[in-house]
Amino acid sequence: MRERLLELQVQALAEIEKVDALEELETWRVGYLGKKGELSGVLRTMGTLSVEERPLVGQIANDVRAELETAYQTREKSLQIAAMRKREAKETIDVTLPGRKSWLGAEHPLHKVIRRIEDIFLGFGFTVEEGPEVELDYYNFEALNLPKDHPARDMQDTFYITEEILMRTHTSPMQARMLAERYPATDIRMIVPGRVYRRDDDDATHSHAFMQVEGLVVGHGVRMSDLKGMLLQFAREMFGEDQEVRLRPSFFPFTEPSAELDIRCIYCGGSGCRTCKQTGFIEILGCGMIHPNVLQMQGYDARELSGFAFGMGVERIAMLMYRVEDIRQFYQNDVRLLEQFATLTR
Amino acid sequence: MKITWNWLLDYVDVSDLTPQEVAQKMTNAGIPVEHMEPFVDGVSGVVVGEVVHVEQHPNADRLRICTVDVGAQAHLTIVCGAHNVAASQRVPVALVGAKLPGMEIGKSKLRGVISEGMICSVSELGIDPYLFPKEQTTGIFVLAQDAPVGEDMNVYLGLNDMVMELELTPNRSDCLSLRGVAYEVAALFGRSVRMPNPQLQTLEVTVRDLSVSIETDLCTAYAGQVVEGLQLGSAPMWMQMRLLAVGMRSINNLVDITNYVMFEWGQPLHAFNYEVIDRQQVIVRQAVTGEQIVTLDGQTRTLTEAMIVIADPSKALGLAGVMGGQNSEVTADTTAVVIESALFDPLQTRRTGKTLQLRSEAGLRFEKGPDPTVISAALARAVELMVHYAGGRIAASPVLLGDAFDHMKYKKVVVGTSRVERLLGFSVSARQMLDVCNRLQFGVEVEADHFVVEVPSRRPDITIEEDMIEEFARLIGYEHIPTTMIEGPLTAGHLTKEQYVRRIITDHLIAQGLQEVVTYSLVSLEELSRIGLEPDHEWPQSIPLLHPLSDDHSVLRTTMLPSLLAVAKMNVSYRRLDLRLFEMGKVYWSKQLPLLEQPDERLMLAGLLLGRKHPEHPYDRARAYDFYDAKGITESILARTGIHAPVVFERAATPYFHGGQSADLSIQGVTCGRVGRVHQAVANAYDLPDCYYFELDVRALVEASTNELYVAEIPRFPGVVRDLALVVKHELAVSALLATVKEVAGEELNAMNVFDIYTGDGIEEGDKSVALRLFFQSLSRTLTDDEMETTINRILTHVKSVHGAVLRE
Repeated sequence: MRERLLELQVQALAEIEKVDALEELETWRVGYLGKKGELSGVLRTMGTLSVEERPLVGQIANDVRAELETAYQTREKSLQIAAMRKREAKETIDVTLPGRKSWLGAEHPLHKVIRRIEDIFLGFGFTVEEGPEVELDYYNFEALNLPKDHPARDMQDTFYITEEILMRTHTSPMQARMLAERYPATDIRMIVPGRVYRRDDDDATHSHAFMQVEGLVVGHGVRMSDLKGMLLQFAREMFGEDQEVRLRPSFFPFTEPSAELDIRCIYCGGSGCRTCKQTGFIEILGCGMIHPNVLQMQGYDARELSGFAFGMGVERIAMLMYRVEDIRQFYQNDVRLLEQFATLTR
Repeated sequence: MKITWNWLLDYVDVSDLTPQEVAQKMTNAGIPVEHMEPFVDGVSGVVVGEVVHVEQHPNADRLRICTVDVGAQAHLTIVCGAHNVAASQRVPVALVGAKLPGMEIGKSKLRGVISEGMICSVSELGIDPYLFPKEQTTGIFVLAQDAPVGEDMNVYLGLNDMVMELELTPNRSDCLSLRGVAYEVAALFGRSVRMPNPQLQTLEVTVRDLSVSIETDLCTAYAGQVVEGLQLGSAPMWMQMRLLAVGMRSINNLVDITNYVMFEWGQPLHAFNYEVIDRQQVIVRQAVTGEQIVTLDGQTRTLTEAMIVIADPSKALGLAGVMGGQNSEVTADTTAVVIESALFDPLQTRRTGKTLQLRSEAGLRFEKGPDPTVISAALARAVELMVHYAGGRIAASPVLLGDAFDHMKYKKVVVGTSRVERLLGFSVSARQMLDVCNRLQFGVEVEADHFVVEVPSRRPDITIEEDMIEEFARLIGYEHIPTTMIEGPLTAGHLTKEQYVRRIITDHLIAQGLQEVVTYSLVSLEELSRIGLEPDHEWPQSIPLLHPLSDDHSVLRTTMLPSLLAVAKMNVSYRRLDLRLFEMGKVYWSKQLPLLEQPDERLMLAGLLLGRKHPEHPYDRARAYDFYDAKGITESILARTGIHAPVVFERAATPYFHGGQSADLSIQGVTCGRVGRVHQAVANAYDLPDCYYFELDVRALVEASTNELYVAEIPRFPGVVRDLALVVKHELAVSALLATVKEVAGEELNAMNVFDIYTGDGIEEGDKSVALRLFFQSLSRTLTDDEMETTINRILTHVKSVHGAVLRE
């Protein structure tokens, strides 16, 4: 009987070597290890053995069973793997084909620039205010120290709707509005992004509608050096850590002293190029200390309180940053331009 | 404002500096030199010559052989093709070896005759002929008879000069004269100013009477003098050239002299014919409404009573400060003129100029208000030049009227010493301040804690302390202002709720693949009819501009749709057929027209979808957008915005939408947007295929948006899913069916989806099968089969009784 078991083992192991499909393996398992299989058959004759032999033969039978089960599992595993390989071969695809895409949306460049400016000034503790585009003559001009017939109104050709109502020519009316609304404020830090309108024919550098960001800081003892310091920080956030700024005297009716702010040319870094007309600097905004008349008209004592204001053209900054050469492109909305901003991180 | 370098040097000596150095400093001091170029570039070897003799060229009809004296021992033989060459003329002669713009002169043989140079025309000398009289530009340049033979043309015409164009800010009208620029340059470099010092001459015996009366407050000062014995002719060449360089046309010696003095002093002058003045009386008065005058340009002008005229007892002679009258024009036989140097109301001069659309150099200066202290100096200077260059004689003592002559010559501005540092942020010493005042040639009294600065009338821009502080900063240099940070309370920057919500919406739509656009809010009125709104539509009326520049931008938009359609049209024309556009922009709704108050500026979110929903992929056919995509995006915006109140979509009849695919949406009874398929006719009008549009009122969304800051508990008991296919009438709105189910489903109904709508086999004509998936969930227990059975039966009974719905077999 012992021989019979060993023979069975040899025979089964030899057979399993030839099995190469999972179904055949099952047949093999039923044939040798099943309830009615060969091994069970042999064990059923155990009753014929002597009491002494039984444990010995039983031990051998268990060994053989263990051996065959191990062989079964090994074989099963390798056959399963083979079967999966086969399936994978069938399921092989061309991984070089493009992936399924979604459309990529993008923020408009002008709004991208405004958001960036907003974020910088939010970091400086500013609020973001917005005002009407259809504005009163009073706020657009008079409250900004530009009485009717003031020659400086020539600088800004205006779209009037009625004698007293007009399309605002700058975001500055919000200076007067906020001074009035927050009266008697002792601390204002705000920016005002928004659309403005000028009676200009559209060309590569002029647009009848464009966007500005106004800034206003009011407080006790605010100095022109604070203006320069804050705008230097802004320029560094916006245009790069190593930026430098330069102030040049200028004129706005609602600031005194007034200045233009130049930054170092972002193309040539200051060595001189076509964009900066070989000066190494480019003008990005107008600014100045709030004119005492502007404060006084809203009821403030200009001896007590001072402040500064600045205003920048969004299109100009966007044109510089993204090297767009025609201002009209921002309003044409050619998606061949706009979709490029989907992959620009700044 | 243009000036020339050499002209400037007449009044301030900066000849040790280069024009570039001076320009740089002026620019940094707030008088930007926008442009600088040589008056004439690259002319050498050209001298004044006299044509001694002219004879016909033997071999060419059009050529003449000239014998020319250029001051050298031997006369030159020059072949000339100009029709106007004649003996005894003085002309510019380019000698052999001379350089002209774009050419060099060599000895040449013209049809067998050797030519030893060239007689030049205006443009050959590189001078822009635009401002020259025509007769001077059609042939050679004929010079004045007194042109010194042999003199270098560069010297004679002053061609070696730089023209500097200043970009003046409106406050610096003082620099509208060489005098003003000279004071500025003198201050910048610490030099002195040397203006001519002409004096008015009185006459003991009056040759020609003149009386002047001022009958209006709009003329504050009038100085005039009669000059006789004049010979009309050309102004000296150097004067013509200077005027030319700064952009003034040379007319004749008298007019050129008034212009020259205007550029020199900033005071506009007018010379008019003495002979035509009735009774030798000049009256400055306001016009009578309807009064007419023919101005120098030949136009008949109808005046209003606000305008000022220079008149005599019987007629108007000119429009004060704006333009002279034709009847008093200086002509060839004029021998006596009145030279007028006066001050007119700046605002009225400006209004008259604007009303009559007359812009002139004089008007420009009058409307800024010239320095009142120079009226008599300017008059004296003009008289002096007319005596010198036009053969004039003083015919009467000057007439001086008005208060300008005893006007205070300066105003006092008090500057607190400590205020300078408080405003600028750096300390300026009393010595520095004094130095600036000296350089500006401002008088100053130094007190313990303040300065009293005497600002002369030539600087009308300086009226208050801050103006003077700017002068200190400007002349010390803005580069000395340090950089500091604001002191004071630390505040947190923040966006408003609306601003946050707007950013959320923008970011959401971009993530959904939509492209943001920005379009103009000034649009054409025609756009409304293009989107199918009849002229008598009941929508808000568009607000028109008073004076639009073009029809395309003449009214404020009331809807965003045409803007997006136009963007789509343009992109489709470039074959970009898949577009998903959105804009957050304003529309402008008037309460009444014409406007009595500011309109309602409403921020709208608008979107337009056309083409395919996804980019094409070989294993995925991309389908086209439909109504439910537009609606789905709308719903996702509402969800993103934190709107938990029920949103109702109702079928609507919007003129620009498809009759059967259009809905209005409302939140708690407030209409806040619409979505639909763009009407076929509207799409056609923009050459567009099928497209879908949505529009939401951003303010309404912000108001409905909640700020919930807590989350709901995650259920601990299993939920139950039940599917029901209900057969209902085709026209029944699924939303109504869902509402009915909800009425009796009980609070355990957690969610309900429509997962299929079926018509066709097995469903009767006119019916549809709506497959619902109901999800029940209790937070406190496991739901039993029995209980679910009861609920489903209750639902089925209810939908049957309300809608006749039956369970599909």
